[in-house]
Amino acid sequence: MCRTEQSRYRFIPCGRIKFILQEKCLWTRSCFSEPRQPRGRQAEVTNKARGVMFGSAVVNQRQHVGLQELSALAGATRSCLGPSKNYKFIQDETSGESTLVCSCFRLLENLDLSCAVGQLVNETVQSHQKVYRSGSGSLLFLAGAWSRAALECLQRGISIAHIISAMSEGMDICLDVCRKYSVATSALCASPSENCSATCQVLERELLKKPAGRALQVSSLTRETPEVSHKTRNTSGRQRVKLTHSRHFYEAKSEKVSTVPRPHSQDSKDVDITHIAGAVSHGCDDSMSLVVEASRLQTENGEQDFSRCTFDITKVVTCILPGLPEERACVLPGCVVLLSAEQASVALHVKDQRLKVALINGDLSETYRHLGFNRPAGVRQVTSMSGLGSLSKEEEWLESVLTSLLKLSVNLILVSGVACEKLIQRCYTHHILVVEKVRASILRAFADATGAVPVTYATQLSKHCVGSGVQAAVWRDLSSQEKKSSVAVNISTNNNTGLVTVILTSCIHGKLQALEDQFWACAYRLHHALKDKALLPGAGEIEMLCVHHLKKRAQHHVKPSRESGEQANAGRAASPYRHVVLHLMADGFIDYISTVMVNTGRCTKVKAWTALSQQLQNSNAASNFSTKALLESETQGGTMSPDMKSNETAAGKVYDNFNVKVELWRKALDLVFLVLQTDAEIITGVDHKTVGTQSANLMLL
Amino acid sequence: MSRLTKKSPSVCTDEPLENPDLCQRFDCLRQLLRSCFGPSGRLKHIRNNIGGHVITTSTSSVLLSAASSSQPAVRLLTTSILNHVSRFSDCGLFAAVLCLSLVDQAARRQSGLRRDVAIRVNKHLLRMCTDYLQREDCGCKVRLDFCSSRSLITLARSVISSKPGCVLTELEAVHISKLAVQAFVLTVPCDSPGTVRLGRTVTVSVEGQPVLDSAVFSGLLLDVPDASSLGNVENLQSNPLQMVLLGVSLSGDLSDLGDGTLEVHRGADADSQVLDQLLELGKQVVKDEVKLFVCQKVIHPVLQQYLRQHGVVVVERVGAALMEPLSQLTGAQPVATLQTTIPAKAYGQVKDLTIRQFGSKTMLHLHPAGEPVICTMILCHRNETMLNELKVACQKTEHVLRLTLREPSALLGGGCTETHLAAYIRNKSVHEAPEAAKVLGCSQSQYLLGLEAFCRSLESVAAALQHSGGSSLIDLTHGHHWTLHSDTAEIQREDALGSCGCGLVESGPHVKWTHLNTKYSDFSPAPLSKNAAVYPRVLDSFTAKINALQVAVETANLVLDIRYIIQDVN
Repeated sequence: MCRTEQSRYRFIPCGRIKFILQEKCLWTRSCFSEPRQPRGRQAEVTNKARGVMFGSAVVNQRQHVGLQELSALAGATRSCLGPSKNYKFIQDETSGESTLVCSCFRLLENLDLSCAVGQLVNETVQSHQKVYRSGSGSLLFLAGAWSRAALECLQRGISIAHIISAMSEGMDICLDVCRKYSVATSALCASPSENCSATCQVLERELLKKPAGRALQVSSLTRETPEVSHKTRNTSGRQRVKLTHSRHFYEAKSEKVSTVPRPHSQDSKDVDITHIAGAVSHGCDDSMSLVVEASRLQTENGEQDFSRCTFDITKVVTCILPGLPEERACVLPGCVVLLSAEQASVALHVKDQRLKVALINGDLSETYRHLGFNRPAGVRQVTSMSGLGSLSKEEEWLESVLTSLLKLSVNLILVSGVACEKLIQRCYTHHILVVEKVRASILRAFADATGAVPVTYATQLSKHCVGSGVQAAVWRDLSSQEKKSSVAVNISTNNNTGLVTVILTSCIHGKLQALEDQFWACAYRLHHALKDKALLPGAGEIEMLCVHHLKKRAQHHVKPSRESGEQANAGRAASPYRHVVLHLMADGFIDYISTVMVNTGRCTKVKAWTALSQQLQNSNAASNFSTKALLESETQGGTMSPDMKSNETAAGKVYDNFNVKVELWRKALDLVFLVLQTDAEIITGVDHKTVGTQSANLMLL
Repeated sequence: MSRLTKKSPSVCTDEPLENPDLCQRFDCLRQLLRSCFGPSGRLKHIRNNIGGHVITTSTSSVLLSAASSSQPAVRLLTTSILNHVSRFSDCGLFAAVLCLSLVDQAARRQSGLRRDVAIRVNKHLLRMCTDYLQREDCGCKVRLDFCSSRSLITLARSVISSKPGCVLTELEAVHISKLAVQAFVLTVPCDSPGTVRLGRTVTVSVEGQPVLDSAVFSGLLLDVPDASSLGNVENLQSNPLQMVLLGVSLSGDLSDLGDGTLEVHRGADADSQVLDQLLELGKQVVKDEVKLFVCQKVIHPVLQQYLRQHGVVVVERVGAALMEPLSQLTGAQPVATLQTTIPAKAYGQVKDLTIRQFGSKTMLHLHPAGEPVICTMILCHRNETMLNELKVACQKTEHVLRLTLREPSALLGGGCTETHLAAYIRNKSVHEAPEAAKVLGCSQSQYLLGLEAFCRSLESVAAALQHSGGSSLIDLTHGHHWTLHSDTAEIQREDALGSCGCGLVESGPHVKWTHLNTKYSDFSPAPLSKNAAVYPRVLDSFTAKINALQVAVETANLVLDIRYIIQDVN
């Protein structure tokens, strides 16, 4: 009876990894559909070892069910890890709708997660995504890997308290490693050729003695020719010749060169965005070049001093144009909005004018009231006969608004909500442009730039609320591409706001969402890199360092506990297991790196594990371990680099965001701790009459 | 056509405790709550049957209010525990586990104990326990020393670390405990003559920040979603600043009409009439040189604009919960009507305003003009689930610390109080068994059975602290509680034990132990020599625990006394 209801979602296998979550849903429902039941306590279910298919894993009722659920859920998002992601279709069998997803958080968003662990995972991932916009795949993967580690510990008879204390210690070790090996962004920029070949370094040394004029030559030598590097950095530049030849691009370069002679400069003002962006692009070069372009436009317009590169993410807008090839993506200063052809004609009319702008918070209509305003229920209108000839209330309102707009000579109204159709029409005849659904941060940017004050009601508008100095220009007529004719209009201010629009295009409608996500991921990676002022060596290096340190500490711990075993020390009681837990935790990291390697398509799982363990062996064999050796072996081996195009972009080294990574590790471990410590689930509010078919692991309260 | 359904007669259950179904439910609840008990307790996911928001907790108040039962006897028990928790915050699980153990012990048929005897013996022993705990020379009581913060921090930490759902490291737990004590101290007024009125701690939670970013501030922090509207708050000239607090909605609507209807003429605009009245208020406030305008509910944007133009800082939607602390902090009387002008004495004062940033939250800090008895505790945690649990734990801690003002004592934690009490009453009762049996009107053997059931229940609460298969021991000198991990060999016991649950007694060659569930010859538990160097690691609230003990025994007696359950099933 329930079968059709339960198996509503399933993955259509595509790409290399196949998952069917159908059975999982079945199992979840069948197990949880009874009311008010604490479930899954090990003691109560020993007689009922029911093996149920759970994705590719088998849920064993003798073991911790929650951890197995977590691990299985993480398994489903395995392919979201790393720079080359596989798209997945999620199909809803009841409605026949399907969604195309390629990131972990979109996948979770589209699943009907009915189990408690699923809910918990979703909450954690979405809250991480909200703040950091990247790393959700890694979060879930590590949660899965560490939940398997915890399961293994439980199987070996290690108590939960010991697992938690050892894993927390492991996390502290990892955080120490992160702090120790983090690279300041200023250092990254000051010596951009640190990771170049030896010849490059020799040239660099030469540079230190030479005057700046010479330096320019040399640096262009080390980095092929400027033209080539433009092409690689700025992929979209292939189409946008104009931008490639931007005067400022060269200026930015010369600035970078001038920093070379001061490699130890710690001045954060010297941060070179192009370089950092390349380091955190993680293979999304196309998207990242858009981000860099956005930042450049912000800097260019805002300040003339290029050493103060800025990137203000709150002033970046995305505009999505379906139907154009992906190469047409570009960045424009100002705010680009799609308007109907009719509205656009107003824009044409007012072009080259300095417009007066009014900002409206909320809807622009007669019936709109601010949030928290309750319409009284018992008000009745009483009409006297004299009222028959007069205008309706809406007409009155329209008249008053229009009069005040004309009196203040407003040409442009930006509304955060929607505007009433009649008003738009009236404004149209008076050549007033009305733009709806403008984001709050954009409104604020316009308020800052023009001196306008956002108001809730049009009747509030007064002289000092109106800003000036805005321009509106038709950017592109898109009526040929779409059935519904629309025109992209660029609204900008001449004293710059730093407002930048990124135009994202794709011929495939279903891909636009993923492209937008990718763009924002890149933008936030750069944003966080600049905010943290520190980066972690990426491409699995920091994880390998953690593995190394975890294993080293694990070995360290075995000895003292044997020697001083006789000493009565409560704190020591935990140590016999510490090495096991730390080893398993390190294996979680190795699993992570190897999965990334497999996902990039460079090698098989076995090869990846072999390569990684070989590296660890090498580093352990050396009497005094130097991380340099490990780092170099990794970069030279090239297997680690998830950047598929790393050969193309010779700049090379991959970095990860510091806080994003640290936070996602902690969140993943917290998730494991919460699930690990949970031994039962209580389901409330079920009609007790339906509890006829009790299964053995359900109890009634 | 309506159909009549015949009313079914009420269902009467005779001797409900003989009913295996009810026993099973009690047993289920006992296992459920036992598994949550203590710092290494297990968590529970709670959600409804359609898969709503999941709560992860081990806190009795959250757990019991969510897991309601259809069984009246179970409901009686949970209600009584919840009532205790609402009054004393702490020791809810202790009371529940003890109560369920007492019921379990007495309801066992094979024990041969008559239930009416059990009830009388329980009452007698409860009195013995409370008398002992109230005594000055009680071996498991510690006087709290307000000269140093150490005992208060220990007390706070015991409450906070008993909630594993907070997922705190040792360092974080200490940090939060210190903050809790700091907040408590800030709420105690220094020198106010007459009746002392305690201040309040307002808790604000910030998700996504590390726990160590949590902090306590004197004064209040108000959430301001739109920081850009505040303007240059920090440059306000006058000191102290005049402020007004409004308890009515200033949204400009006519929502307080009630059931009646209002007839409006076509030409008349009720909204603008109300707005005019609001602006009148605005004018008066500006005239009276108010610099801070705080409203519990929504403020009409036009009024906001007017006030801002005149340099007034406007904060709206602070919520009902903050109204009392706000008026306590500033001395302002919340204005509840717009019909009259605001009297001068309704205005309050703040010393200063600053803007603080916590993660994604921007907050306006109101510094008190007078003595700071209101403080704000900012709690940060990495995710929502843990944050909620931490918030509950901190509120409990605040309450527990306040209880110490009434009775400046604490009981030894870590199960030591329970085992000590059990050892004490075993020893005392055995000696006076003949007289007690006569007074209670039962045979001496019945009395001893009741005694055994009571002591076992107490000891089982101590044993419930252990969740990973270890065993619980009691030492035969002081009667303290010790845990032995399951993987330790018997020979190494002395080394593995370290110290007892509360940390007062150290393991050594002279200490003799026995397993808790075995019979041991009764002994009089010796009080510890007063050694200032050794201080208990774990302390429980005295007031909360003694009340929990009473609630547990009395509830158990009530449950045992149930003869019939009559249920209306319609």
